[in-house]
Amino acid sequence: MRDGTAIRIRDLHKDFGDVQAVRGIDLDVYEGEIFSLLGPNGAGKPTTINMLSCLLEPTQGEAWVMGHSIRTDSMAVKEAIGVVPQETALYPDLSARENLTFWGKMYGLRGAALRQRVDQVLETIGLTERQKGRVDKFSGGMKRRLNIGIGLLPRPQVLFLDEPTVGIDPQSRRNILDQVKEFNRQGMTILYTTHYMEEAQELSDHIAIMDYGKLIACGTHEELVKIVGELDRIELTINAKSERVLAGWQATQGVHEVSAEDSKITLLVDDSNVVLPRLFEAAVGAGVRITAVEVQEPNLEAVFLHLTDRALRD
Amino acid sequence: MSVQIRKALDIALKDLIRSVRNRFGLLMMFLVPIILTGIPLLAFPSLRGGGGGGFDMPVTQVIVANLDPPSAQLGGSSAGAMLLQFLQDDSLASLLQVAVAADEASAREAVEERSADVAVVIPADFTAAVLEPERSAASLEARRSANVTLVRDPTLTLGPGIVKGLVSQFVDGFAGAKIAANVVAKQLGQSGATADAEILQSVVAKYVAWGTEQGESRSQGSHPALRTAPPPSKEQTANRGGQMAGAVMIGMMIFFSFFTGATTAGTIVSEDERGTLARLFTTPTAHTAILAGKLAGVFATVLVQVVVLTVLTSAIFGVHWGQPATVALAILGLVIAASSFGILLISLIETTQQLGPVMGGLLTVTGMLGGLFTTGFGGLPSFYETINLLTPQGWAARCWKLSLSGATVRDVAPTAIVLLGMGIVFFAIGAYHFRRRYV
Repeated sequence: MRDGTAIRIRDLHKDFGDVQAVRGIDLDVYEGEIFSLLGPNGAGKPTTINMLSCLLEPTQGEAWVMGHSIRTDSMAVKEAIGVVPQETALYPDLSARENLTFWGKMYGLRGAALRQRVDQVLETIGLTERQKGRVDKFSGGMKRRLNIGIGLLPRPQVLFLDEPTVGIDPQSRRNILDQVKEFNRQGMTILYTTHYMEEAQELSDHIAIMDYGKLIACGTHEELVKIVGELDRIELTINAKSERVLAGWQATQGVHEVSAEDSKITLLVDDSNVVLPRLFEAAVGAGVRITAVEVQEPNLEAVFLHLTDRALRD
Repeated sequence: MSVQIRKALDIALKDLIRSVRNRFGLLMMFLVPIILTGIPLLAFPSLRGGGGGGFDMPVTQVIVANLDPPSAQLGGSSAGAMLLQFLQDDSLASLLQVAVAADEASAREAVEERSADVAVVIPADFTAAVLEPERSAASLEARRSANVTLVRDPTLTLGPGIVKGLVSQFVDGFAGAKIAANVVAKQLGQSGATADAEILQSVVAKYVAWGTEQGESRSQGSHPALRTAPPPSKEQTANRGGQMAGAVMIGMMIFFSFFTGATTAGTIVSEDERGTLARLFTTPTAHTAILAGKLAGVFATVLVQVVVLTVLTSAIFGVHWGQPATVALAILGLVIAASSFGILLISLIETTQQLGPVMGGLLTVTGMLGGLFTTGFGGLPSFYETINLLTPQGWAARCWKLSLSGATVRDVAPTAIVLLGMGIVFFAIGAYHFRRRYV
């Protein structure tokens, strides 16, 4: 069952009444890689994580973590994983050290081994100096770090990180991303969920894009970008109706596709640096003024847009 | 000890630590019950004992001039001597200090010089006057001329008033002897016989002897129909305050321990909302161990509260809660009932927003039905006590009242068993709901 696969998911479904939160996903996450689940809110990412961490029972399908079935061998799965939930699941009236000590006990650590591991984790997350401080006095970034630290306590083979950078400042975010890379360098397999395209792009060996409970694309960053080809995407806003420039722009050299909505026109072009001056020239000829320009080079946002006709941030 | 049991105990310990770190929780667990119990004692300072606001009656200085000579009718004694002896009795020592004057003038002089508060002058024919049957106008006249005279300091009222009352009480005692003599004289007259002075004096003497004997018996506390009790000592007064504090504290302790039970059980819901409960479920800890740990935390927290309140009220208010075994039973019954009732209530709610109505409404209403706010009052109608027993709070109050009143283990055990039974039922229903939700 293993074959170097840390997580194997087959036809996994989860329904909540009439709502189908996860609708039949198949996935393989290999040992030692960072795998990102990318998708907007409501895509089904946390539900998938919750099933993999044995918090929710699948409606249909099966998954294995380090070869252990989430349906029949949940205790072995829990011994293999560390979970970092999206919300900072901490006890605010306990200190950082007390929180880590308690959670360490829940992972089966005791005595000197527990104390040593707590010291190591405090060092890793940079909270050694504040270990005796009550958590409710911590900043958002410190709480996030402690939240991650708890997931590291059992030295997990697989670490689930559910949107760990939501709602924190850029510096803390940078710190967390660097730490995730470091955990991976130490040999940890990481399943990372996010709706930030840049994070998935920076961290991941493989990325799966989810939408409405379905896996709509999966591969490396390069493989996904190829879905939309090598074309740049240009979005132009004009001060008149699109019909006045549409024909001229369609005929412009280097333009492959044009779509319009009111005064907003989207074009797929070979090289935006070369094509943009030609578009401006055609607009002047038609007596139209361009009021806004947005250029997107091929990226995951463009892939999502291409696959769903919606922006990832929507 | 198995790994899962150790984890359950770790969860319980964590909850206990969190409870005692919560300032509001501490306030409601310990400070508020103590303050609410202390308020009645502040309102009635005499209950605190130790002379704090108590009334101390000054001793009245009495000087007695007994001019009544010994009489053969009273076996060589006299009514005057008996009155003097009555006033000098030990039982009156806290009220009167009695000295004897040689004559009436000396007694009056002592009052004028304020070395005495009251002078009691017993006339020379006092015995004859009180013992003479009222057979003739002469005897009536003799009685009037043989009045005891009280000379008092005009600035005093209370002490002389007490002396006057005591002397009147004594003189009234001789009225019985007179009545006995008159009844004998009448009955002899109706049967055609004549009651001579010797017979009547004999009747009076026998009555007086009987009366004296009864009086002595009474002073020794052996009268078959009457039990005399000495006034309460300061120590007893202090204990009375303690027992009143205990009665009030029963209500407060039970109300707030049920509050703590529900609050601590409420952490299951708040942990669910905070995400820590879900996180616990992702650790290699059995769901039943997690649930057992949470419920054990409720019992541990309530146990600490009740034990601390019991000890604190003994130390602060001098409450004697009863025999150690009955107190232990009462503590056990209360802890089980309060914890399991809290677990039951919280198992029925979904969010922490519903905690408020449960705390403020349900616990207050059941507390009132259980009579928790009237535990300091006595003489309540029996139907009220019956209503009290519709709630676990009422049974817990009954258990503690029994212990406080000095009942034995045998007396307290049935009530404690009822509490235990209620606790098992509440716990079973609550645990069933939680298991369905989380396990």
